[in-house]
Amino acid sequence: MTMIGGFFLSSLSIGWMDGSYGSIIMFFTNNRTGQIQVHHKGYLEDPSIYSTIGGYQTVGAFLDSIPEVRVWAPRIYSGALLAVRPRGAGSGNVFSNSAAASVIGIDPAMEEAATDFSDRIVNGEMLTASAADTSYAAAGQIILGRELSIILDASVGDSLVMLSQAADGSSADRKYVIRGIVSSGNADIDRNTCYITLSDAQILFALQGKVHEIAVMTHSLGRVDELTGEISAGLSGKDLETDSWKTFAKEFYNGMKADEVQLKIMIFVIVLVAAMGVLNTILMMVLERRREFGVMKALGTRPGFIVRMVVLEANIMGAISVIAGAILSTSGLLFLSKHGLVMDPPLNYGGTVFREMIASITPECYWIPAICVFITASTVSFLPALKAAHTKAAKTLRAV
Amino acid sequence: MTDIDVIVAEGVVKTYDDSGVPVHAVRGIDYTLSKGEFTAIIGPSGSGKTTFLNVLAGLDTPTEGKVWLSGKLISDMSGKELSDFRRDHIGFIFQAYNLFPVLTVEENVEYVMLLQGILSVERHDRVMNILEKVGIAEYAGRLPMQLSGGQQQRAAVARAMVSRPSLVIADEPTANLDSKTSGALLDMMRQLNEDTGMTFLFSTHDEIVMRRARKIVIIRDGKIDGKASSEEI
Repeated sequence: MTMIGGFFLSSLSIGWMDGSYGSIIMFFTNNRTGQIQVHHKGYLEDPSIYSTIGGYQTVGAFLDSIPEVRVWAPRIYSGALLAVRPRGAGSGNVFSNSAAASVIGIDPAMEEAATDFSDRIVNGEMLTASAADTSYAAAGQIILGRELSIILDASVGDSLVMLSQAADGSSADRKYVIRGIVSSGNADIDRNTCYITLSDAQILFALQGKVHEIAVMTHSLGRVDELTGEISAGLSGKDLETDSWKTFAKEFYNGMKADEVQLKIMIFVIVLVAAMGVLNTILMMVLERRREFGVMKALGTRPGFIVRMVVLEANIMGAISVIAGAILSTSGLLFLSKHGLVMDPPLNYGGTVFREMIASITPECYWIPAICVFITASTVSFLPALKAAHTKAAKTLRAV
Repeated sequence: MTDIDVIVAEGVVKTYDDSGVPVHAVRGIDYTLSKGEFTAIIGPSGSGKTTFLNVLAGLDTPTEGKVWLSGKLISDMSGKELSDFRRDHIGFIFQAYNLFPVLTVEENVEYVMLLQGILSVERHDRVMNILEKVGIAEYAGRLPMQLSGGQQQRAAVARAMVSRPSLVIADEPTANLDSKTSGALLDMMRQLNEDTGMTFLFSTHDEIVMRRARKIVIIRDGKIDGKASSEEI
């Protein structure tokens, strides 16, 4: 029972860890960053407006040629001051509600394909390609983060003014109409981020034909590291750098690793407790069967044979426990992978809120606990086996 | 010691000190068991019969003195050598049968042959042959708990003899049996002794055993108090 329990808990923990961490990473990366990013060399260390990817369409065409790349999205990053006229104020009043914000230029269609951006719009609509992208004749369109809209006391349909500096040193200022309010799930980001179209950003910041970042979405997490290397090799000589989410979202990755270590410690404790139980069971078994071992020795059984027999018996018990534990854990994992667990309160990872966690069924859910069970069975049965092998035949036959 | 001596004991002393109080179970015994003997060691409870048998069989080490088994000094033998010697040369019959409860009669009987590395077909033939001889062949597939006491002791006899040892040591083999079953079992062992020349050494205080033994050794207070034939007893 102890070994079955140990297998079951370890297997469930691993499935839970793989599933929930996998879904957290996919959610985090698909929602925002992508699993891989391409930047101009040095951009991550020093995110300067001048550090751009020129001819990004060529890079995009290369990415399109890789089957494992699901989609990619170009982005421009800059900072600006946003100002809104206070609600109810007359047309002559100044735009006195202001806040500094990060401005992200996105290609509406490509961003939608990459991150399902419109799903996170809580009010208003997604940006669209329009004449305003290429001409200052009309007001531009902008989406604000929810917290930023609260700070500015602005809502959909309101006008705002953006003030910044372009890459060529000129003033970058424009009037915008708020088209939507977005909630990314990360309040910190939503507090200081707004989104305009990529074409608009390229004109506004004098970055025609250039972007700061290409976010790459892949089909699975498993091959991200290899794919990063592949893309990096394909883009060599272009003064670009390619990084996986483990590098550009280092804080998030380290948080995940720290949590993973905690879970591994938990699994180790489970195995240790199970091992103590198994040791106790086998010691009891040896004690109860000492007369049998005494008879075996009297009949001429070598001590080594008894050691092998006890260890083998422990491993047979282990095998039975693995089968029974696998049946139990599969049921549990199937349930958790279908229904998941609602996190109440929601789990906050690097500012991203997760409301539901699910398990996944992977080979690791079975082979890691199985190996633990067999190693535990062999290790902890060795001492009782030696005890059994050194049973004094005359003493046990006399005493029992 | 001669070629026909199976066991020779010289000045054997065995003192237990398990609880801090020394118990002198055997107090200096010189004894020789020759090939083909059918000997009973008799004496009251606590006289040291079982301890002496255990020492003779190498199951227990003497506190003092020496024991030779088929010419080999027990104290010179390693644990492995002693195990192999018992496996190949000594058959044991215990008062409480001591069959393995989870094995069938056939598996119990073939156990020693399994240790000897005898092939399965030969093992099966020899098991069935000896079970025929002891009269429980039809119970070969049963577990010990499904047999009567007499049938279990017959299975134990079969286990002791199937590997054709030169010596069979039996510690109070009839203690848990009724007189009729005891008599039948002793007659069977006596017959095997006569047919095969196997040496039998019993400890007992059962009159039925004494009557069938050819030699009797009397132990009292850990010492040999006399030797006699069954007729004399």
